[in-house]
Amino acid sequence: MYRSLSRAVASIAFLLPALWLSGCGGKDETVITVGVAGPMTGDQSKMGQDFRNGVDLAVEEWNSRGGVLGKKIRVDVNDDQHDPKQAVALASKMVNKGVAGVIGHFNSSCSIPASDIYAKAGIPMITPASTNPKLTEKGHPTVFRVCGRDDQQGKVAADFVANVLKSKRVAVLHDKTEYGQGLADEFRKSLGTRAGVAAYEAVIQGDKDFKAVLTKVKRADPDLLYFGGVYPEAGLLVRQARELGIAAPLFSGDGTIDTKFIEIAGPAAEGTYLTFSPDPEKVPTAKAFLDAYRRKFGPHGPYSIYAYDAANILLSAIRDAGTIDGRAVSKKIHDASFRGALGEIAFDLKGDVKTAPYVVWITRGGKFEEIGSKPAH
Amino acid sequence: MLVQQIINGLTLGSVYALIALGYTMVYGIIQLINFAHGEIYMIGAYAGIISLGLLTLLGVPPSLLPVSILVSFLAAGVVSAAYGVTVERLAYRPLRQAPRLSPLISAVGVSIFLQNFVMLSQGAGDLVFPLTFPSEGISFLDARITTLQIFILAVSVLLMAALTLFINRTRMGTAMRATSQDRVMAGLVGINVDRVIAVTFAIGSLLAAVAGVLVGVYYGLVNFSIGYVAGLKAFTAAVLGGIGSVPGAMLGGVLLGLLEALGAAYISSEYKDAFAFLVLIAVLIFRPQGLMGSADASGEKV
Amino acid sequence: MAPAGKTVTAWLFGGGWIALLALPFVGPVRALQIALAVGIGGVALHAARRVPLGSLASGIRQTAFSGWSVAARHAALFLGAGLLVLLTLPLHANNYVIDVATTTLIYVILALGLNLVVGQTGLLHLGYVAFYGIGAYTYALLSAGAHASFWVGLPAAMAAAALFGLVLGFPVLRLRGDYLAIVTLGFGEVTRLVLRNWDEVTNGPNGILGIARPSLGGWVLDTPASFYYCVLVLALAALFAMRRVFQSRIGRAWVAIREDELAARTVGIDVARYKLLAFALGAAVAGLGGSVFAAKMTFVSPESFTFFESVIILCMVVLGGMGSLPGVVLGAAVITILPELLRGFSDYRMLIFGAAMVLMMVFRPQGLIGSRSLAYEYRRPAGRGVPPRSR
Repeated sequence: MYRSLSRAVASIAFLLPALWLSGCGGKDETVITVGVAGPMTGDQSKMGQDFRNGVDLAVEEWNSRGGVLGKKIRVDVNDDQHDPKQAVALASKMVNKGVAGVIGHFNSSCSIPASDIYAKAGIPMITPASTNPKLTEKGHPTVFRVCGRDDQQGKVAADFVANVLKSKRVAVLHDKTEYGQGLADEFRKSLGTRAGVAAYEAVIQGDKDFKAVLTKVKRADPDLLYFGGVYPEAGLLVRQARELGIAAPLFSGDGTIDTKFIEIAGPAAEGTYLTFSPDPEKVPTAKAFLDAYRRKFGPHGPYSIYAYDAANILLSAIRDAGTIDGRAVSKKIHDASFRGALGEIAFDLKGDVKTAPYVVWITRGGKFEEIGSKPAH
Repeated sequence: MLVQQIINGLTLGSVYALIALGYTMVYGIIQLINFAHGEIYMIGAYAGIISLGLLTLLGVPPSLLPVSILVSFLAAGVVSAAYGVTVERLAYRPLRQAPRLSPLISAVGVSIFLQNFVMLSQGAGDLVFPLTFPSEGISFLDARITTLQIFILAVSVLLMAALTLFINRTRMGTAMRATSQDRVMAGLVGINVDRVIAVTFAIGSLLAAVAGVLVGVYYGLVNFSIGYVAGLKAFTAAVLGGIGSVPGAMLGGVLLGLLEALGAAYISSEYKDAFAFLVLIAVLIFRPQGLMGSADASGEKV
Repeated sequence: MAPAGKTVTAWLFGGGWIALLALPFVGPVRALQIALAVGIGGVALHAARRVPLGSLASGIRQTAFSGWSVAARHAALFLGAGLLVLLTLPLHANNYVIDVATTTLIYVILALGLNLVVGQTGLLHLGYVAFYGIGAYTYALLSAGAHASFWVGLPAAMAAAALFGLVLGFPVLRLRGDYLAIVTLGFGEVTRLVLRNWDEVTNGPNGILGIARPSLGGWVLDTPASFYYCVLVLALAALFAMRRVFQSRIGRAWVAIREDELAARTVGIDVARYKLLAFALGAAVAGLGGSVFAAKMTFVSPESFTFFESVIILCMVVLGGMGSLPGVVLGAAVITILPELLRGFSDYRMLIFGAAMVLMMVFRPQGLIGSRSLAYEYRRPAGRGVPPRSR
């Protein structure tokens, strides 16, 4: 027992210092490090790579102008694999490395626990995509988001449904995630009594067969399906709804706006309504970003531009604060207003953007098109 | 609504049954829970997509249904069978005399390996299955059955009938039955046990591959992680019917599909997956040999 | 494996075959590379057995193992030095290392508990993560809902998990082997589904936020270092408690049941009672691990308690060597720390991990530190293809 126990302990004593070496890498005082965190590998890796590309582009532009505070900027990429456990471990890893700020994470379920670690270390965190209200409700002064919140998005959808589509019987579905259910509930709340909720059902993220639920929904005979969730489920839902003979259009949120949605649903995707931020192709300030991004990485993802703006906001605040002290930088982010690729961005006391830019889109001819708040004709 | 749910359930169940056959045949012969079987099913679905991609390169559009269906079935079957046999050779055969847990853990390792292999080589996102069936269907009694659903049911029934004939009427089938009854005796009377086991893996993998293509076409998308849930469900189906029993796996698959569809419709769609496991637990506790397993196996598979 | 007759052609053929399998997925260039790698690697391995290279390899092996045997010879010294490293870790390591070390210790606790059920008593349990989840949620609910202290939540979590261990234990008493494995797997999945869907209590997939860190008389253990010490104490306590139990009558009764249930019953061991005890104690330890995990993350959600987690913990037990306490500790450490070290190959690490599991089973199934007696006891009689049926 003692012999093998000592072997075990000796082996661990070998392993831990190795970890130590891999983990610290030494604080380098000659550069300023910006952390990026998101799902870089695994099934959501595209979203993580979109983040990374956006931040890379911003940092490259700053470096070509001579960096910030007279130092070059380095990007430290971290893969949280959309696992909260990993997110927390990486957060402390980045804090150790002395990053000046973090752009991330993607999933609300990662951003929320990781934000505690950054907040304790006083490091600014700007998420380009986590839309769950709880993130900024915790009141950390160093936490920001450049995207909107689910409650704002749900309201835009509900107004459109009640005022423009004039739907009478709505079936509300969600995927039970922090994001999906949050969005569906906010939609339902905003809708109030303006339309009847004919069915309220949950599906499971990652499931492929929604026919049982849809058969139930069909019996309620809705004139609109609202879905809070992400594109794979949304695509399958609308496809299977058509197979069962449900003709009501689908309405979904920013999690569905991905070309994969159209690929999966095929012709069934036509006429699907979505809430999302205005088309960057139509935002004049985004032109330079889109061109540069296309040259370097190809077509932009839904959140590339948010990651790009988030990085610019962080770096401008560092420049204005004249230090990388996180609390000073956070104060600058709160106080100032930034002109980014998305337009004017300013933060409220919680760290949310003051104006949430949601508009309605439609799927037409195999493409997403912005239609503002007017009917689709 | 009931009729519609039964149609949905039968379609799903026939696919579970095809996968379950692989579990049950392998278990019958070497008493191994082949945890990597779900991955073989996933590999089959990918092989189907890849073969259709090649076909398009050669100028045959996937809309030419009879050709593309045949090609994707063949490609998926051959690739999956090759993977199944190789996995048996490398990860299970060396462990035949090892303690019970070792091949099980080896199987879990194979499963992790294959998932990541496909993820790295084919990307982590969903792939869209480039085959679409005409969306016409037959409506009756307030329900609708699509041509695709009819096709899935027909293919499953045909394959199961063929398998039954194979096991009962051919020399190899007889050798398989003999090996599953007593491997040592089978070896003594001159049956090449290694070969029988390899053939068992090949057939099980082939059926899983066909199921993979069918599911790929049915839902229209495939990703590297579909094997896990499908494998778990099919395995449940195999146990439900009585693991080791071929007709049991067929019955178990269909029952499980029905159970899921009806449970999701009338009880709760959120607990859909739980029904399968609750039934599994109940069956094992009250009738461990499964619905169609022989009674003498009860609780004594050490 | 590796019989003497394996020739160069066999390796080349093997390489070609593997490449053929990979071809549809990776394309012709990569497939050719794989063929060359496997073929040349195999041939080199084959050649190494004949030329002095072989002695070089065995030399490396000896050097690597001599470290271990030195460790064995000066057991007390090494144990002391190792413990010293663990005790002083927060003084010389940064927060990242402390965080990983804390996670490692949580997995040590979990693996110790599973080892009790699988390694010591021989009950293959695939739903162990259920008790881990029940423990984590018990403390989470008590802390976030009722503001209970960790020192109330911890025993409550252990008791709740143990209770569920008994609930599961009763009906499965008469099941063995694979059947037991399947029922426990089902139990694990159902537990996760309940955690995910019972929104009123568990808050569904969103999980529970705002779980408090432990505190000692007003001093909140919220720095990584102080929390690390707290977990270290709990892990060591679990380790020594295990050791005491295994050396007692109870531990020997479990081994007897593992080796031959019928014989155990014949010599008067109350098999049912000892099995239930193993289930309940194993679950209680998982509950301990769960409450510590909840306190560390200050956040729990059902995603953390998937079947994959059960498999990982089982791998820790098997990798280290079933039934051997030091082995289990080492297994937990290797499986937690190695993927962190492999972060450089982040894409390939799970691929390597899967392959390593298979290789481990084929070449060293008794684990890194297999208990010698267990290896002897656990083998089936050589040359028999059929598992012994105990009737």
